[in-house]
Amino acid sequence: MDYLYTQAANGAVIGVIYALIAAGVTIIFSILKIVNFAHGDLYMVGGYCAYYIIRLLGLPPLPALLASMASVFALGIVLERLLLTPLYSERTERKDEYGLIVTFGLAFLLRNLALILFGPFPLKPPSFWSGLHRFGNIIITNDRIFAGAAGLVLLAVLLYFMNRTIWGQALDAVSQSRDAAAIVGINPRRFNTLAFGVGAALAAGAGALIAPIFSLAPDMGVSSNIQAYVIVILGGMGSVLGSIIGGIALGETEGLFTAYFPDPTRALAYTNAFGVLVLMVVLIFRPTGLFGRRHLRME
Amino acid sequence: MRGLHVYVLLAAAVPLLAYAHLLNSYWMHVAIIAMFYGILTASWSLLAGYVGLFSLGHMAFASVGGYTSALLVNWYGVPIPLGMAAGVALCCAVGGLIGWVCLRMTGPYLAIFTLGFSEIVRITFSTEDQVTAGMAGLHTAPLFLTGSRLPYFYTAFGLLVFSLAVMGAVVHSRWGLFFRAVREDEQAAAASGVAVARFRILAFAIASGFAGLAGGFYAHYIGILTPSLGSLDLMAVVVVMTVIGGMERIPTAVGGAFGVEVLQEFLRAYGQWRLVLFGVILLLTMRFARNGLLTPVWLQFVRLGEVRGARPAPRSVGQEGSRI
Repeated sequence: MDYLYTQAANGAVIGVIYALIAAGVTIIFSILKIVNFAHGDLYMVGGYCAYYIIRLLGLPPLPALLASMASVFALGIVLERLLLTPLYSERTERKDEYGLIVTFGLAFLLRNLALILFGPFPLKPPSFWSGLHRFGNIIITNDRIFAGAAGLVLLAVLLYFMNRTIWGQALDAVSQSRDAAAIVGINPRRFNTLAFGVGAALAAGAGALIAPIFSLAPDMGVSSNIQAYVIVILGGMGSVLGSIIGGIALGETEGLFTAYFPDPTRALAYTNAFGVLVLMVVLIFRPTGLFGRRHLRME
Repeated sequence: MRGLHVYVLLAAAVPLLAYAHLLNSYWMHVAIIAMFYGILTASWSLLAGYVGLFSLGHMAFASVGGYTSALLVNWYGVPIPLGMAAGVALCCAVGGLIGWVCLRMTGPYLAIFTLGFSEIVRITFSTEDQVTAGMAGLHTAPLFLTGSRLPYFYTAFGLLVFSLAVMGAVVHSRWGLFFRAVREDEQAAAASGVAVARFRILAFAIASGFAGLAGGFYAHYIGILTPSLGSLDLMAVVVVMTVIGGMERIPTAVGGAFGVEVLQEFLRAYGQWRLVLFGVILLLTMRFARNGLLTPVWLQFVRLGEVRGARPAPRSVGQEGSRI
């Protein structure tokens, strides 16, 4: 029973991290109308960024987290300016195909670049908060508590930004109608850039928070990419709140699935497959996701 | 003279085949692997370039084809060609099924769905290690008992020519026209009487069958099969090759496979940087030459047979469809 509670607590923490990644995918999707296949790799870059900021600049972990988010935000802006501008041109044909191949290629590029620059061996940055806590018989490491709490704070800031600030409102306006937003004086191009940057920064935050718990590896983005799609499809493309709920639900489900799966040697491998299976079933019966907002369908 | 380019290619193939034994073992291996990728890129371009179905599960089909054949041969002692045929048949069936299941999905949703499919296949193959030997690798029966690579070279060449002939015939026929119509606008195609559902399923079945064929050959050539044959990294390599060459025509896709594979061997000294370079070339191609780097060359080549100074034929849709 205690094992179950421990798994549930771990699942909640992982769920918060998933929610951060998925929220980024959703924001990019709702503004740029593309699925970012390189999102998991931006998450990986964020983790390594935090690692090297701590190791080379000697910043304490918390400022390193923010610095890593800021630098990946800048990277996101550069990538968007360099690669994604044809998406807004009238002359580009089959924009979804363009977005797909470009982000898929970017993922391939980032993953192989990381393999060269950071090496294939797992790296682990120092803990944010070492030691562990014991609640009754449930043991949870402080790093997980910190990651969960910091992730929740980031999500709260994101929700505040999206719902209560004028920039967030403008993003929502662009996601609903590019033309109408332009008429009221919002420059959609600027918000495309902002959306990609914010999405990238969220992924980086998730990567920096997860780094002390699991280690960093150049291919860590592959599975989290798929998990982000599971969440985004479940929670609805374009809904930030939906992806937060979906993220925590997926983290919980995976934790408990691992605990309940009859064959422990295979439980971990099939946990990922289980999420993917859910994704495929949902896509078959509701090709736009469970709670997708109607105006955010792909055209 | 129409179709001159086909005869030129055939004529070029004759000395290549006659003098193949002069290649050393290493470059012969490179050529065989290039032809293996050639089948994969050709079939993927049929799916993604012609019909617009951006599937990320293509390598999963290759690994399904490979494992099916290898396991049938290992367990039941089935002759290898029969095992490969069984792999192809299974891939056609599963591919058709996947095509049917995702009829309603477009663009990125289809990509996510097929990505999910390929992950499940990969995870299952690597976890059920009593059956597939998992990441340790499954030992497969070799297609030929000789130490020489020459028979493999001829087999790969035969399979590539067979695949190109079949797929070329398909895209030259009315079906090719329907495929392109589905890609441009499904609703308009349906309104003009194209059975969109049937052609989407058909395209998936054909392309998956050829992926299975390539996988089956690879399994019995390399001698050891691991689940990483179906990994996303190899899928990315196929995408890179196809897009760099030009995904809208089968010959340019095959050219992309040859070019990238040969370049990869020439730049062997640069190790991992090659993949980064290919990633950069892919992004540049998409950004500035979306039709692919080989497409202009190929179009020039195809025009060889046209009479110089003659009035250019009207560019109707039928004309476009008849050129691969």
